[in-house]
Amino acid sequence: MTLRSPAGGAAVTRRMFLTSTGSAVALTVMGVPLPSPAATSGPADIGTDGSPVPGVASQRIDGLAKVTGQKVYARDFNARDMPGWPATQWYALYLAALTTDRAFEGIDLSSLPPEAQPTRVVLGNELSPAMRAPQLNLNRDLHIDDRIAEERAARLKARNSGGDVGSFNLPDELLFDLIVVPGNVPNFLGQAVALLLFDSLAGYRAARRAMAFNDPAYQRYGAGNQDGPPLGSAFSPQTTYVKYGDQFSYATADPDTYMAQVPQWQDRINDTLAADPTLIRQPFSAEMRAMDPMFMEPEAGLVWIDTGLDTMHLVLGTQSPDGDIANILSMYDSTDAPFPLKAVNLTSCYPGGGFGGRDSSPFSLMLALAGAYSGGNPVRLAHDRFDQFRVGLKRHGADLTGELAADPDMRLQSVQMTLTFDGGGRRNLSPYVASLGALCAGGSYTIPMANIYAEAVHTQNVSGGSQRGFGGPQAFFAFETALDDLAATQGWDPLELRAANLLTEGDTTVVGGPVEQSLSLAEMLEITRSQPLWAERETIRQDYAARGLTYGTGLALSLQAYGTSGDGMVASVLLNRDGSLTVQSDAVDMGNGSATTLGVVIGPILGANAAQVDMGCYTLFGMTGLTTSDPEGQRWDNPNWTAKSVGSSSACLTALHQVHTVQQAAQALFQGAILPAAALIWGGARLTPADVSWQEGALVRNAGGVPPLPLAQLAETIYARKLPVGTLGHAYFQDSWAEASFPTPAGFLSLQLDGLAFYPPDGSAPVPVTRQDTVGPDSASKRYSRYVWAPCVNVVELTVDTSSGTVQVENVLSVLNAGQIHVPQLVSGQSQGGVAMAISYTLLEDMPPGMEGPANGMWNLNRYHLARAQDVPLRTDYTPGARGQQLIALPPPQEEAPAGRGIAEAVMCSVPPAISNALRDATGKRFTSLPITPAKILEGLGQ
Amino acid sequence: MIAITVNGTAYQLDDSRSGDRLIDFLHDDLNLTGTKFCCGIGVCRACTVQVSKPPNPAPSPVISCSTALGTLDGSEVSTIESVANGGVPDPVQQAFLDNFAFQCGYCTPGFVMAARIFLDGLRAQPIPEDEIDGAMMEAIGSHICRCTGYVRYFEALKPLALAANAGGAEL
Repeated sequence: MTLRSPAGGAAVTRRMFLTSTGSAVALTVMGVPLPSPAATSGPADIGTDGSPVPGVASQRIDGLAKVTGQKVYARDFNARDMPGWPATQWYALYLAALTTDRAFEGIDLSSLPPEAQPTRVVLGNELSPAMRAPQLNLNRDLHIDDRIAEERAARLKARNSGGDVGSFNLPDELLFDLIVVPGNVPNFLGQAVALLLFDSLAGYRAARRAMAFNDPAYQRYGAGNQDGPPLGSAFSPQTTYVKYGDQFSYATADPDTYMAQVPQWQDRINDTLAADPTLIRQPFSAEMRAMDPMFMEPEAGLVWIDTGLDTMHLVLGTQSPDGDIANILSMYDSTDAPFPLKAVNLTSCYPGGGFGGRDSSPFSLMLALAGAYSGGNPVRLAHDRFDQFRVGLKRHGADLTGELAADPDMRLQSVQMTLTFDGGGRRNLSPYVASLGALCAGGSYTIPMANIYAEAVHTQNVSGGSQRGFGGPQAFFAFETALDDLAATQGWDPLELRAANLLTEGDTTVVGGPVEQSLSLAEMLEITRSQPLWAERETIRQDYAARGLTYGTGLALSLQAYGTSGDGMVASVLLNRDGSLTVQSDAVDMGNGSATTLGVVIGPILGANAAQVDMGCYTLFGMTGLTTSDPEGQRWDNPNWTAKSVGSSSACLTALHQVHTVQQAAQALFQGAILPAAALIWGGARLTPADVSWQEGALVRNAGGVPPLPLAQLAETIYARKLPVGTLGHAYFQDSWAEASFPTPAGFLSLQLDGLAFYPPDGSAPVPVTRQDTVGPDSASKRYSRYVWAPCVNVVELTVDTSSGTVQVENVLSVLNAGQIHVPQLVSGQSQGGVAMAISYTLLEDMPPGMEGPANGMWNLNRYHLARAQDVPLRTDYTPGARGQQLIALPPPQEEAPAGRGIAEAVMCSVPPAISNALRDATGKRFTSLPITPAKILEGLGQ
Repeated sequence: MIAITVNGTAYQLDDSRSGDRLIDFLHDDLNLTGTKFCCGIGVCRACTVQVSKPPNPAPSPVISCSTALGTLDGSEVSTIESVANGGVPDPVQQAFLDNFAFQCGYCTPGFVMAARIFLDGLRAQPIPEDEIDGAMMEAIGSHICRCTGYVRYFEALKPLALAANAGGAEL
């Protein structure tokens, strides 16, 4: 990313400080460098292709740089491209553990040819404890974080009273070594056992060639010492949601006694179900393999530790720069660290895809670790695809079992579900994923009783992490296929069964939190009911049958929450001297289009779209003057406090959260600087927003009589009169926005922000202003888990070749509630990408666990099959006889300030159950093991 | 020696380089990183470049991750860096931009190169219009895109294909 001064001059950097072991470490976000004279791939002046019509995106703002092959991604850079770096680049290669049964004894490189010998080898016993097992801080979701804090406190209490505190069941403190110490049994497959460093590209390449697919030749293992933690234990915390009508739920119970009360309410649920013999009980089970996000750019990055200045320089493409840097700092957070670290400079690149797989990825740590052992030389760590399959974060494989109960009038009475996620080796974000899966276990329905338990267990497999859907893909699949079975066994119409149980405003989720947002599920089902794909499905079936094809139609709903239990965002809007606008955001654009969206949503407010959008500016938070420290429990009474600074970037955070923040910052600029400047130019009384409007990029007074003011003229006055030239806003959302009043040059301004700072015209750092009359969300609502939702109804039409077991998805209908749509092309593109990914992991993507799977280092796209164009319906309408995917988005809400909804994974999550339901419709057989391969279909059909 | 031309510049390479992959030569020697490395085994086609080799002047798509330099003696290679003219995108690139055809963009250079070769082929040898969809699938249907689900790439390319097939101007 590039950060420029408000005046549009030379690139500047933004800086914040993180405290580490009592000393402040300066963090700087750098711009993508200009090319060295030798570079022939041009510089990425990315995020500078603004769209001309205010509020409308004509193309991606990052599009031109990408489509012309400029240096955009971390993989594109070498040390020679980085100004001021030494050109002597080293190359890092980690060897991956091959077993969790035996102790790793060491490596044997004697069979490597001389030209392939590494310059340096680092084993786990050479690392200091802090480097080997840094104290990772994986915060993702405030309501889970609170539970972790509660468990920590309970553990400390037990320890102080001499009780047995256990160890592994509280693996928040369990930190597997980054590199296995010789003599120890690896904790999981793929865990690094050695770091090899090469001082030449030729040596590195030679070693890779020699070692490819031949790992056992270079690693030595002895007998297991069995001192590792037992596999199969659950990572902490596990999630239990028990709800009994209005009488008991996670959200409403006393947090201190909730778990103690759970057993008695589970008994009440069982007693209630047993007491009513008319209830229809529908047991279910489902399972799915782990899935690779398969983002196109394998992880890569550069590190250089300038030992003279105790500064670490990083080039990375990550979804979580904030967490990654904090965790890297923790590696140096000890007196025995190899270097004292005074500063970190991060060049934050656009990732080549993410899907959650770059959120809290271990890659950043492994890169930073390599930098400590290269003798002060820059190091490049670049996975190839085999590496990426071997160690990259996966979506969890899962087993789900449970039971639905409904009364004879089609009313759901209870859901019971146990969700077991294969967390793999590292804890990562697995407990958070399992927890959201537990919320999704209630589907899109109002259900009086719930008994849901979710856990992620430690296994030898490749680590699971955040991935698109975050627990939703697993839970919705189990629920929606079970619901369809319930309908089928009772002879109920699958749509009407769903319509009879829809969650609406005023209901509560299985967590017990209230639904306070209009979901419009009934309207969406009504639309679905009338569409030919659903309404004429029997006629269509007959048409296919006449052609000898086995055809089925399936329906499924998803209710994907967006955001977390509490989200903080920061954004700035800057008016440059030439009248152009720049937006900066802490968010990272993984391809989801947030840079484009944030550039155009200010258009209606400021009369023009951003000419430049800078992403990944997470250090902006350090300039807001806000803190998350609250030792005295003042919360919002402390004018400098906020509940959360910033978090990882996920696509679902754009449409509501990030857009809101940048629009509020734009409002502050408009009312705090532009209107006062206009009043100065025009003369006369103070102006209000109602007095003016934008016409063709110029501000006009509605009453007339004064000349229009182009932004450039307004900028001239703003700079000359030393009005704010930019605003920096921080927002916090937790069921509602934190709101406050802020002093501005135009008087006090009420905003849905909890932090505001003004940029002075001289290019210096923004100056925070003190908020007043703050109203913020109370802490109780954190236990609702989620508050805002992006519902989607999917209908899938498919044909099955019963002789080969192959399935072809013919048509998909998606009815989506996306709220206010900011960039229609991005919404439909996100939907189309979700349909393709869903088809892919439902029917194609198959990856076994253990050493048969990617941990053996031999997996790539030749055996892990992804959906290609021919697997996906490519038309965008429904035409009988053709293959298409039709997206129907609900009309924008009739509200004064309609908001967008984060729809990143909304469409994807209900496609797989709709496919399974269509298969049942076609064949009469239920398939609940993903992927549904031709072999499974043939087996199910008894062939 | 291996004689190879990349984006109009001629290079003479020692025979010892004959086993090196084209993509590594582009990245490491020439710092042309617009050609993307993804799977490295020739499946995803993100690394597609355009190669012409006498006596056949017609360019063909080549998977640079799986092509040894030794097989390219006498060839002319064009990469994504050669496509835009003075920063102005060519019609394929512009169509992909206008249609929001890509998201992360990592697969895009490969799609651009394959699409250009496809359009050149249509111009040289038009086909019945009802075969265009099948020909498009043949040309770019094996490329993997993980973000956008292919729909918008095909939507963007279709008008260009129809125009090229009808004798439209060269790119």
